[in-house]
Amino acid sequence: MSELLDARDEADALARLHELGCTDGLPVVIPTPDRVERMVLATGLDGDVVLGEMGPLGAAVTIEKVAANAVMAGCEADHMPFVVAVVQAVLQPEFDLSEVQSTTHSIAPLIIVNGALGPITGIASGFGALGPGHRANASIGRALRLCMINIGGARPGVSDMALLGHPGKFAMCLAEAEAASPFPPMSTRWGAAPGADMVTVVGVEAPHSVMFVNDADDPDSPDRLLRVLAGVITNSGSNNLYLRSGAVVIALNPEHARVLADAGWDRERIAQQLVGLCSVKRWMIRSFNPAFVGAGDDDDDVAVLRSPDHVVVIVAGAEGLYSAVFPSWSAGGHGNIAVHQAVVTGQACEIPSVLMTG
Amino acid sequence: MRDGIELAQRGLAVVALVTEPFWPQGDLIALSNGMPDVPRVRLPHPVAGTSSEAMSVLADEIAPRLVAVLRGDTTPDNASVGAAS
Repeated sequence: MSELLDARDEADALARLHELGCTDGLPVVIPTPDRVERMVLATGLDGDVVLGEMGPLGAAVTIEKVAANAVMAGCEADHMPFVVAVVQAVLQPEFDLSEVQSTTHSIAPLIIVNGALGPITGIASGFGALGPGHRANASIGRALRLCMINIGGARPGVSDMALLGHPGKFAMCLAEAEAASPFPPMSTRWGAAPGADMVTVVGVEAPHSVMFVNDADDPDSPDRLLRVLAGVITNSGSNNLYLRSGAVVIALNPEHARVLADAGWDRERIAQQLVGLCSVKRWMIRSFNPAFVGAGDDDDDVAVLRSPDHVVVIVAGAEGLYSAVFPSWSAGGHGNIAVHQAVVTGQACEIPSVLMTG
Repeated sequence: MRDGIELAQRGLAVVALVTEPFWPQGDLIALSNGMPDVPRVRLPHPVAGTSSEAMSVLADEIAPRLVAVLRGDTTPDNASVGAAS
């Protein structure tokens, strides 16, 4: 059982939580025992079940602690299967969470939801899916961040050493726009059955907007779109150019996705094409940051993406001119790769109505 | 910091080099790993990106102190943290 905080009322409790550094700077819902218990019940697991240890502090991640942070984030009970799956995902060793939390880079976890349950739960995939106005997106993403703060111990300038950070560190969660996508769900590329509920989490930079105007009369349009995307991935400020390791996420809006699908390309083909296009001459790297130039001749072509498996293509956002690229941190022991976790549903206990007013 | 902790856990003599802005992080990592007394020495910041000449000057300045800490002839910069914990 977690330690209880004494407070006169909810306003006093909120002030105390801010003082203790237990918030993200915004007001939180006070995690009273009744509210936390309701969220624990929504997981179908006992509160003392341990999911793992969360760095850099190395604290035990219990269901009760996750539930408390989900309450603070404003989650509803229906969000809990996603919150638990997301926490399990970042606890996978391949995510290198301690390093993600501690780096001076502005990396933040991007949560991508696939499957039938996401839209039913209200996880948005279209207009402004990563912006304000979508409770499920904001709450689930924020729940992970609050877990990273309160369980993992990330505090700016003490343990979270991001030099600047970015607003995506508050929350970055969206569903893939499966209904609008010309492709099978992204999760099927990683072994999930179509319709199966899965979360994918990738540590990424802030999204970079990608403008592209299609011309249906131009047979070069699909290649042109890929060249524009490649230009963003290989931009001179991105870690991808220098460390050449991590996974990038490309969020194609449905209109841009159709440009590529109508050319007969699937996700694998797109990823392969981008690996080929994301290549620069070594002299360019030398001219920007010679510390990362590597061994070889200046006229060598240097691949920026390690393999097609490091290109995560999703369909998201609304129709129009803009897609987005999320560059990689490209560091950590496992090189900043995407992790995946099945969402376990149907395990929730019946939530007593008396607690629903708590 | 973690490298120093992992080596210390193997029973080796270590001293971790921590630059000034990262000192609180070093304390946190050492405490959270149950080894608050892992010796550490404070370096000026930044180290990365300084010239080779500046690095050599810093190395010449710091090396005797590192050897002395490893030998136990002098206390590291975190001695007071360790004593308090």
